[in-house]
Amino acid sequence: MKAFKLENEPKIQTGFKTPDHYFDTLSAKVLQQINDKKEVKVIPIYKRKKVLSLVAAAAVVVTLMIPVVNNYNATSKELDEATLETYLSYQSNLNQYDLMKELDTKDIDKLNKGVALEQETLEDILSSNPNIENLISE
Amino acid sequence: MTNEKEFIAQLLDPKTQNIAFQKLLSDYQKPLYNHIRNIVLNHDDTDDVLQNTFVKVFQYLKSFKGESKLFSWIYRIATNEALTFLNQKAKLNGITSEALQNKAIDNLKADTYFDGDEIQIKLQKAIVTLPEKQQLVFKMKYFEELKYEEIAEILGTSVGALKASYHHAVKKIELYVTSN
Repeated sequence: MKAFKLENEPKIQTGFKTPDHYFDTLSAKVLQQINDKKEVKVIPIYKRKKVLSLVAAAAVVVTLMIPVVNNYNATSKELDEATLETYLSYQSNLNQYDLMKELDTKDIDKLNKGVALEQETLEDILSSNPNIENLISE
Repeated sequence: MTNEKEFIAQLLDPKTQNIAFQKLLSDYQKPLYNHIRNIVLNHDDTDDVLQNTFVKVFQYLKSFKGESKLFSWIYRIATNEALTFLNQKAKLNGITSEALQNKAIDNLKADTYFDGDEIQIKLQKAIVTLPEKQQLVFKMKYFEELKYEEIAEILGTSVGALKASYHHAVKKIELYVTSN
């Protein structure tokens, strides 16, 4: 096969064509794009500033509200059991008899069921208690 | 040179900017179209890249320092735009730039805006086998008939290196066409 030499060949054209009147409309399209970009440029800076200041304001409000919300939660909570117990046993004038007055039969039944003393413990208490006769007579 | 300086001043002056930019568009649209088309191969992509190129030229005019000629500066923007476009398109399709170009050449046969025959297709296929720099040099010298000095300014290399690149490119293309 004969060696191909570019310089011996007639000039090879690219063969590329353009649509009719392509170059007549090109500059108008380019100028349109440039104008669009110019208009768009102004809006985001203004918008961004506005959004940023809104976000900053919202952040400040949320930060300021943190102690308020915390306090609100703390005061609205019911007293916990430990505090109540401590109060009743040390700070109030309630005595055993006051408590007993408040109990009805249902409560006593519950207590009987709840406090299941073992035989041995009961014996221990009875033998070590010197006032056992008092208890029996009551 | 004074003419070019005056022209750049007109491009930067808001009063004369529009008329000067219109002139730039009409002077450069055809040669730049050919330059970009030689790189991206199909008309629609060329249209996109060419419009982007002119928009960028307009945007960056303010930062044009006049260190190089306006001509080579504009060509450099066009070249970068075209190469970036090719790489992005290849990435999107998950193939190499070379595979993408081969696909584009296969599509040329059915392209309404291409009237080449076998030898044109073969020449394009031979060009794709070259390294990117040699492809550019060959296209700019052989198809666009730019001077070595002009190509050197656009690509930022020496005339000597370009001549060597072109020589290598021609040899490889001749070998490819002969053996295919």
